[in-house]
Amino acid sequence: MTTTIILLLLVFGVYLVAVLEAWISSGRFRLTTPILSGIALLGRESIVPRKPDRIFFEVAPVLLLLSAVLAATVIPLMPGLIITDLATGALFINAALVYVLVAMLMAGWGPDGAYAMVGGWRFLGQLIAYAMLIVMPITAVVMRAESLLTTQIVVSQDGLWNIFYQPLGFVLFFIAAMALAFLPPFDLPTATGELAGGVEAEYSGVRLAVFRLGRLTLIITLASATVVFYLGGWQGPWLPPWAWSGIKILAVTVTMLLAGRLMPRISETDLLAWCWKLGIPLALLNIFLVGILVLVIP
Amino acid sequence: MTAQMFFIAFFGLAAVWFGIAVFRTYSMVRSALALLFSQTALGAMFLSMQAEFLGVLQIMMMATEMSIMAIFMVMFMMDPGGLSTMDMIHQKRLSLLAGIVSFLAAVGVAVFVDWGPVEMIAPDPAQQTIALGLELLGRSMLIFETAGITILTSMIAAISVAIQPVKQNTVPTITGSNHHEH
Amino acid sequence: MISGARLGKLSGLRRLVATAISRDLTTFVIPGPDIARAHGLDLAAAGLQIVASPRHASVLLVVGDIPLALHDAATVIYAQMVRPRALFILGTEIFSSLPDADIMSRLSQDGLIDGVQQLRTAFAEGAFRLDVADFDAPALQIRIEYTCSMHPEIALNEPGSCPKCGMTLIIRETQASTGRAHTKQKNVDVSVDEQMATGNEHNAHHHMSDAAKVEFTCPMHPEVVQDAPGSCPRCGMNLEPRETKTEHTHDHSQMNHDAAVQYTCPMHPEVVQDGPGSCPRCGMNLEPREITESETNEHSGMDHDSTDHSDMDHGDMAFMSMIDVTKNLPRSTDGLPMEWTEAPFGPFFPGLPGGLMLTLTLDGDTVADSKTQPLFENKELLPQVSPDIVNFIQQITRFGPLSPVAFQLLACQALENAAGLEISANVASARIGALEQERIANHLGWLALFAQQTGFNWLQRRAASLQLKFCLADMQQIATLAADIQSLIKRLGKTPLLKSRTVGIGKLASDSNLRGPVARASGVANDVRSTDKNYIALGFEAVSQTQGDAYARLQVRLAEIIHSLKLIQVSGAIERPTPADTGEISATGEASVETPRGMAHLELTLQKGQVIAARLETPSTYHLDLIKPLTEQQALADALVAIGSLDLSPWEVQSREIQT
Repeated sequence: MTTTIILLLLVFGVYLVAVLEAWISSGRFRLTTPILSGIALLGRESIVPRKPDRIFFEVAPVLLLLSAVLAATVIPLMPGLIITDLATGALFINAALVYVLVAMLMAGWGPDGAYAMVGGWRFLGQLIAYAMLIVMPITAVVMRAESLLTTQIVVSQDGLWNIFYQPLGFVLFFIAAMALAFLPPFDLPTATGELAGGVEAEYSGVRLAVFRLGRLTLIITLASATVVFYLGGWQGPWLPPWAWSGIKILAVTVTMLLAGRLMPRISETDLLAWCWKLGIPLALLNIFLVGILVLVIP
Repeated sequence: MTAQMFFIAFFGLAAVWFGIAVFRTYSMVRSALALLFSQTALGAMFLSMQAEFLGVLQIMMMATEMSIMAIFMVMFMMDPGGLSTMDMIHQKRLSLLAGIVSFLAAVGVAVFVDWGPVEMIAPDPAQQTIALGLELLGRSMLIFETAGITILTSMIAAISVAIQPVKQNTVPTITGSNHHEH
Repeated sequence: MISGARLGKLSGLRRLVATAISRDLTTFVIPGPDIARAHGLDLAAAGLQIVASPRHASVLLVVGDIPLALHDAATVIYAQMVRPRALFILGTEIFSSLPDADIMSRLSQDGLIDGVQQLRTAFAEGAFRLDVADFDAPALQIRIEYTCSMHPEIALNEPGSCPKCGMTLIIRETQASTGRAHTKQKNVDVSVDEQMATGNEHNAHHHMSDAAKVEFTCPMHPEVVQDAPGSCPRCGMNLEPRETKTEHTHDHSQMNHDAAVQYTCPMHPEVVQDGPGSCPRCGMNLEPREITESETNEHSGMDHDSTDHSDMDHGDMAFMSMIDVTKNLPRSTDGLPMEWTEAPFGPFFPGLPGGLMLTLTLDGDTVADSKTQPLFENKELLPQVSPDIVNFIQQITRFGPLSPVAFQLLACQALENAAGLEISANVASARIGALEQERIANHLGWLALFAQQTGFNWLQRRAASLQLKFCLADMQQIATLAADIQSLIKRLGKTPLLKSRTVGIGKLASDSNLRGPVARASGVANDVRSTDKNYIALGFEAVSQTQGDAYARLQVRLAEIIHSLKLIQVSGAIERPTPADTGEISATGEASVETPRGMAHLELTLQKGQVIAARLETPSTYHLDLIKPLTEQQALADALVAIGSLDLSPWEVQSREIQT
């Protein structure tokens, strides 16, 4: 029962993200756009390139969708509304999201095209940049909660959300989450102006629909993860818990989508340099500070 | 009980099958990703053995590591696409020997070592994580800290060895007074 | 009805899909959205959504004239689109390499909106049909050829063995029409593709040295050494010359083959034959294998060096050192030998100027080589020159679809110079107003293209909408738009990441051959306007920067926008140049105009009022040659930013001087 509810909510969330993205990138707010373009995509031909690596070409969009959905299974929207409350929930989110990289590598290598290949390997470079910046802030969050259970992490923020307790971790996690979801300014694998669509370029029809669905699910999953780790999950006055979850997830999604509009795409060299030279030391500092706070504050 | 055994057997066989697929294919990337999925199957096996933290950790780490191995294979090996079906397996007898020896050694270790008293019921995963943490910072701290520092040192050493000074390009002009030759 | 319909009966669910497609018109624009904006078309307002890949598009929108050189590319783009697909042509004739246009309309915003309406109905009713025909064109024909994965320059028509190394040839597909396997005249590197793109080939440059005393060794087996060229006994590859080191004698050419000897392939040990030959699986020469140690003397006549065979495993290759094998591969500056992929980045590449025929050879993520082609051949440049002056001016403006006013002004001034006419100061300053208005529109269009390339969504929308409004603005509207433009420029100054994306990229030294903003950004103060008395009267100041990189060019163009706004304000009037009536004169005249991209120069010769000879120099002709040095060994993203910062107009590039 909870599984169906959460999956339905996920679908609704994906729909909202699609509407928001269309609104932000084209200035038109239309509720029917995602539905129409989804139907249109399904009705178009699904072309397979001439000499693909067939297994990779087929598996990649499905794996992208699957990894995003798996990561969403451990996110609590309300006390009790969670698909599986794994004891290693916080780590499992990261484990599931790593398969986004595997999916992108497959999508890059599969179609046997130059643009897709460059896009796919670029995403690997991006992973090297953001991977530590996801795991280390999660470590600090888990330190405060003294548990890997996602519900416990939310409960531990009672009174003071992690965004105020460890703001440095929040900033790093937010940036790394945007890089994981390859949102602008980190949209290196699907760079429209440089790679003619990159990894997405060779997909059409049903597979493209699944790929885009996977990407939108990834965005909403990451927004939910941010809310659970840093914004106190379902906690808040007056409104019921599920409403707070929804509002916060929406706010984080809007921020993620808006932030990228305002900047050009970051270059791979800069991304790697800043993440490794600045980001990781800051993440370590964050862990250190949180450690002190955890010991000092009863 | 039987469901658990079924899953352990299934994932174990999957791991072996993917492992064989690593060497049956000619494509470098398929090879690397087959190894990746073999490790994922191992992680799933750990999960079915109720070693939750270990399973999740294995799944997470191996995906990243094998993907990086994939790009190194593409960089350094000939024919990453595998289209010329050239047999890239070498030193067959030596590797067969090494494989048999390690298999026997592993089986020997599994059978003859005293692993301590058998727990009939696996502890709660949260308990396992706490016990793991206490172990890491207690009895095994020296091992893991040493390993961590060693890995960090080798990372830094590998990067310093791999960096080559990049030739500075002089600023080009239309007259083409700058031609780079390989 | 659309010709690119999908097979199926239009009923039930498909009707729903057809309606959905008709409301979700994804479009791929040829030659490019920058050209569409220059014609004043607002595609988003008409309901068309521009996509980056033809695979995602259902409408192919052709804006204006497509030169002959691009027809093949247009055909390939159409073929890459998914069905149901429609062809929507604005303002030009249909051409032979594409199917008949489904919707044709005039080249204006109204024409676009009308056409989109018709398109919607056509899709809703004709997206699925029961009788669909396959689309085929000469440009899409493929030819199968056989190549060696280690020597991609070998291309034979039949299967066989590589003459250089003896390995079996593998299949490769190339375009039948050009016959040159390495060039592709299309935009997106999809379906028609060579196997090279997956990287199964190495440009293995086996350099032959001319030393007199050399030895021959196998690149895979360095221990195999022989005095004369031949084949490696282990793998059958041709031996390569090497400096002398040791004395070994190997002579396999006189092997006496005994019936008891078996031959096996070093790479496929399951292949065993009684006689010598080639391995059926990989084509390498089979190597004799000794059956037992005691039968060594049966190999009479074989001259084996004992150190080579008796203690090695037979049927086993020695360890193939990758460092040795890849020793001679070309390497980029970071030292990694990756495989080379040739990918087209034009002519309809989103993010680059439309019509730019560019092919980049990528070494991983680095650009190893670049090739450009001019759009027009020498002879095409003034094809049917109708010497009549009015037609001549029309022909000239064809070279600048992005800046027609500048070219018109160029022609008018050249004529007036030939006729010796003087233009009144009022008319001159009104003309300046028009030219500066076009300069601002062009720079805004360049900003929009640059934003599209770097994924800067806000700037792209803002600059595009300002450009469209500015093109048609009169004096009052210009005054209001000026404030918007100023705020855009100010906001650009505060944009994070913009500097890091452009500083140090595409650096050019000062060179007197440079033109326009590219020159002024490198410190070369080439500006026609600084010596024009009309401009000086309006208070013109030249802008310049010294860095010479993409950021400097951005700054120069932004500063020019501001200065042009001031000039328009001072001049107070905008009037497009019209040719004066010069009568039947015979004279020569010349003129130079600072187009938004740089100085363009025209010389013409009139005889009895007809133009008999003309010579046109345009800035992009020089700048096209800059692409190669600018992109060499740059990361792909940086290379594209460098090319974009040059603001090329491929339509005005000429190979040589033109003569009528």
